[in-house]
This record gives sequence, structure tokens and C-alpha cells, in this order.
Amino acid sequence: MILEHDLEGMSGVEEVEHTADRAFHIRGRDLTELLRHAAQVMLALEGGPPTSECFVRRVIEVEGTDRETLLVNWLNEILYLEQTHQETYHHCLLHDVTDRHLRAQLYGRKLHHSVASVKAVTFHNLEVKESSEGLEATVVVDV
Amino acid sequence: MLSPHDFVRVEEFVWEIPTTYRPDMRVPARLYADEELLNIALTDNSIAQLVNTCTLPGIMQHAIAMPDIHQGYGFPIGGVVATRLPHGVISPGGVGYDINCGVRLLVSQATVEEIQPFLGEIACVLYSNCPSGVGARGSLRLTNPEVDEVLHEGARWMLGKGYADQEDLNHTEEFGRIPGADAAQVSQHAHERGRGQLGTLGAGNHFIEVDRIAEVWDHAIAARLKIYPDNVAVQIHCGSRGLGHQICEDYVSRFQKSVHDYGITLPDRELVCVPLDSAEGSEYLRAMACAANFAFANRQLLAHLIRQSFERVLERRTKDFNLYQVYDIAHNMAKIEEHEVDGHPLRLCVHRKGATRAFGPGSAVLPDDLRDIGQPVLIPGSMGTASYVLIGTTAAMRQTYGSTCHGAGRVMSRAKARKLVRGADLRQDLKSRGIVVCAGSMSGLAEEAPTAYKDVSRVVEVVHKAGIAKKIARLEPIAVIKG
Repeated sequence: MILEHDLEGMSGVEEVEHTADRAFHIRGRDLTELLRHAAQVMLALEGGPPTSECFVRRVIEVEGTDRETLLVNWLNEILYLEQTHQETYHHCLLHDVTDRHLRAQLYGRKLHHSVASVKAVTFHNLEVKESSEGLEATVVVDV
Repeated sequence: MLSPHDFVRVEEFVWEIPTTYRPDMRVPARLYADEELLNIALTDNSIAQLVNTCTLPGIMQHAIAMPDIHQGYGFPIGGVVATRLPHGVISPGGVGYDINCGVRLLVSQATVEEIQPFLGEIACVLYSNCPSGVGARGSLRLTNPEVDEVLHEGARWMLGKGYADQEDLNHTEEFGRIPGADAAQVSQHAHERGRGQLGTLGAGNHFIEVDRIAEVWDHAIAARLKIYPDNVAVQIHCGSRGLGHQICEDYVSRFQKSVHDYGITLPDRELVCVPLDSAEGSEYLRAMACAANFAFANRQLLAHLIRQSFERVLERRTKDFNLYQVYDIAHNMAKIEEHEVDGHPLRLCVHRKGATRAFGPGSAVLPDDLRDIGQPVLIPGSMGTASYVLIGTTAAMRQTYGSTCHGAGRVMSRAKARKLVRGADLRQDLKSRGIVVCAGSMSGLAEEAPTAYKDVSRVVEVVHKAGIAKKIARLEPIAVIKG
């Protein structure tokens, strides 16, 4: 289980100031790690204490026209699954990641009540950039 | 970094950044503000975001920012951009994720003094009857065909179900239904996110608020709207919920490719857009209309639940607890409207993102009983502060495509507000001022602390003095219901 306060000190993630919404600077050694760290942010923002012992596993495929679109579509797919199925995920496994495609498994539990706080993940000034440590991007989330 | 020196003062409350500021600007940028609000606007990236919107193909005259402008994503919040049909663009990010987020105002002929003994009970029943939280689900379970009917019919769908009366629809922007909606342009994901959410409030800055009508400036117009001093009013602030969020996500993602197909270069990927006369543009407008109609229906159902709540608590305790609808406005929308530009009537797509339509007297699209006075404009304040009822003006039609501000406007990030304010302390402070608060989350309450916002009264003074809306009445909160 990941909760919002776990974001502080989370590896590869740093919250940056944004007047109305939430913004996160995310780093990864490669695209797979960047996508995993970005997912951790979403799981933390949307996460809550599981209110059910019912475990769930979701297998998903996501596509994009480039790295940025793949990143946003990936995070928005997690959001859609959590809010539609009233589930909270604590772990994700990514497979077969390219700049335009990924497969993933999400593990979590059912919630009796949604604790969702995110409306959408945006493309605002989004650019997946090369850095000395691998890749980095700043993602703005509409809350 | 922008500074006050980059602006030219063109009117007492109008400041302009000329196109010489940046080579990709097609038109100047204009800001409605006094000196203090201008300086506040320069403390975040909102003006840079406004300048970015000046690069959109087909933009008319100038991009406009209201005094409540603050940093958003792509477009700033508090912006108005008009593009010309047929070749100008439509930008989903210029509407935002919460399509047709808006405000509805109901008023009662009961006084605050009459309902005061039951106020705590009213707040509890409202909190229990009106589900809140981003993912909250309502009590109305719709089949797939029924969801599509709501997307096509908007608040009008509620009329046949006993959740609305004709007067409610007459006093709703676009009569509660945007024409041209086509549910076939709405993804399965969006349908699924919206299906259970009709009649729910959401989270963030959305709320239901019970108010006292504290001050009336124009008694004649106020009387036409059934607004009288010391009476009870109720505001609803919410939008199209997960359905609207998903529609915006779908089209912003899809237009990442389309924008290249049309050879459009932009300074920010969130501004992606397509020509209004393109197939993609038409599809977005039809999907957006669905979300807008869902939002009108959502606020209509919430109004019904609020009326039920008042009846449950006040029946046989007070004489007149009926709630009459003053108006319902949208403040995140793109609308095809006719406006006069340089003496010529032109069809424009007016993007209002965090801005309110404020049509003046004589506008043909207003209902018969409001046409001579203009459109009511509803400006909610931050939690615990005043809200305002204004009326649209002829000057707004000339200057701002019939638009004005939408609220107070944030100045502080949510993270900072949570660090500086404890939700429980804030609730206690509001309680000491006689304001009942029912909130789902203390951290959510802290994020919405008044210190995180500009002074709404100052914002309203600017639009009033600039002539782009006229003050009618001030409301003060007595109970707040939040997700």
C-alpha cells in the first residue's frame, strides 16, 4: 500500500510548486523506471487504506505516439481503472516497454469507497529528457 | 520572466502585452486587473501561459485574462480566447478537464433567522444526501441508453423524471442543453467513469454552500431574481465529473498527433488544437457538448437533492423553504457564438477556461424574463468568504466577448496550504464565525483555506469598475459542504 505521505522521500520523485494543481519531477535510469516512478506517484495520490481483503490483479497494454504520450496515457489508464473499479494498487510490473507501447500488471485491492483525488494527468510542458542519470520529466496533475 | 514593464496600460483596469514581446504571438494579451492583482498575477506562470495562448491559429483581437487569473496547465485559469470560424482552432485544453464546471444559485424566501435553529441539521442532511469526493457515486443508477439520453438532453432529461421544473431550465445557461451532442464521440472509458456519478459533487474546490444574502446593491434587478437581504441562498459548484475528465484526456491525447497533421506549432503540448472545420474538431465539440450536458444534469440532480434535504428538515418548521433557481452558469466551456468585431457580426468559438459568460441586456439567447436586465453571473468566493451575484453588461459584449471573472483565483499551491493550515483549525475558525462545515477530508479542507486564494471582493471590484459585469448582491456563507 502506498499513501500520499510516502511521496516525500520516494526515490526518483520530487514534488515541485504549482499554484492550482500538483506537479512532480520524475527521474529514472531508463524509460521503464521512469514510467514505474511516475506510476508510484499516481498510486500514492489515488491510494488509500484497503477496505477489503479482495485482492485484484489487472493486466493492461498502453500505447502512445511517443514517450510523452505513452507516459500520460499510462498514468491516465491507472486513474481510469482505480476510479471505475474502485480499486487501489500498491505494486506494478512493467514489461516490453518501448517508446510507443507497454504491458503492465497492477496489483492491489478493492475499496468500498473511492478515495480518488486526481482528475487527470496533463501534457503541460511535458518533455521526457535525457539526463546524466537517464531520463527525467515533470508531470502536472489536475486535482 | 515577465515584469510590469512588459505591460502597456490601455484602460484604468486593462493592461496589454503587445505582440512585440514574443515573435510567435499572433495577437496581444490583455489582463483585467488593478496594480495589486497585476503584481499577484506575475508571481506564478499564469501570464506566460496567457502569452502562449496568443499563438493559437485563428485567435481574434487579443487573448484575455480576468483578475482572478492563476496558473493552470496549457491555458491559464481565468482566460478567454476567441477563435474565428471556420479555420480557427478548438483546443480541448482551453476548456479544461472539468468540462462545464459551473455554479448554480438557488434562493429561498425564508430568512436566515428562520432556518438558523436547524442549520446544523440541514448541513448534515445535505452532506449525507449529496455524495462527494472525486470518485464518489450517486444514487441514480442509469442504464447505458439512459446515460446517452442524459448526454444528449442535459438538464432537460431531468424534467421528465421529476427532478427539474421548466423554470429551472429557463434559468440555466443554454437552457441546460448544449445542442449538437453526440454520444458516439464519447469513449467507453468516459461512459464508464460517468455512469455512476450523476448527482455527485466531486472534490477539490467543489462545494455546496448555504449563504445569507448579506448586501444588495441593485434592489430592482435583485427583486427580479427573487434576491432579498437576509434571505437564504444555496450555491452548487461542480462539473462533469469523471466523464468530462476522461473526454478531455481522450482528445488531448489524440490531438497530440493531429496537431502535427495540421502543421500547427505550439509552445506547450497541452495547447494542442485542430481547426474548427476539421472532422476531429467537430468530434471534440460533439463530445464536449455531451460532457457539458452531463454537468448541467449533474447540477440539476444536486439541486433536486438539496430541495429534498430542505424539505426533510424544514417541513412544518418554517413557512416557505422552497428554493427558486436564480441561474446556472458554466465557467469551463468552448461555445460557438456570434459577436460583433469591428462593426461586423462574426461566428466565433469562445473558449472560457475559468471565466464566466456575462451576456448583457438585449441578448437574444437569454430567456424572455431576463432579456431586459442581462444574464446573472455567479462568482463564488473561497471557503468562508463572500460570493457575488453580478449581471452581464453591454460593455462585456464589446470588450470580452461577453465574459467576466469566475471566482477568487488561487495564489498558493495546495501543498503549501496543507503545510501552513491545519484542516481542523480551519474548521474551528469557521465554526467560531458561525459557519457550519461538513468535509470529507481535513487535508482537502486545508487546501481550500481562504489564505490560498486572492481576495474575491477585490477581483469583483475590478470587473465591476471595468464594466464587464455589474454588482447586484453579496452572499456570506453560513454552512459549507465539501468533498
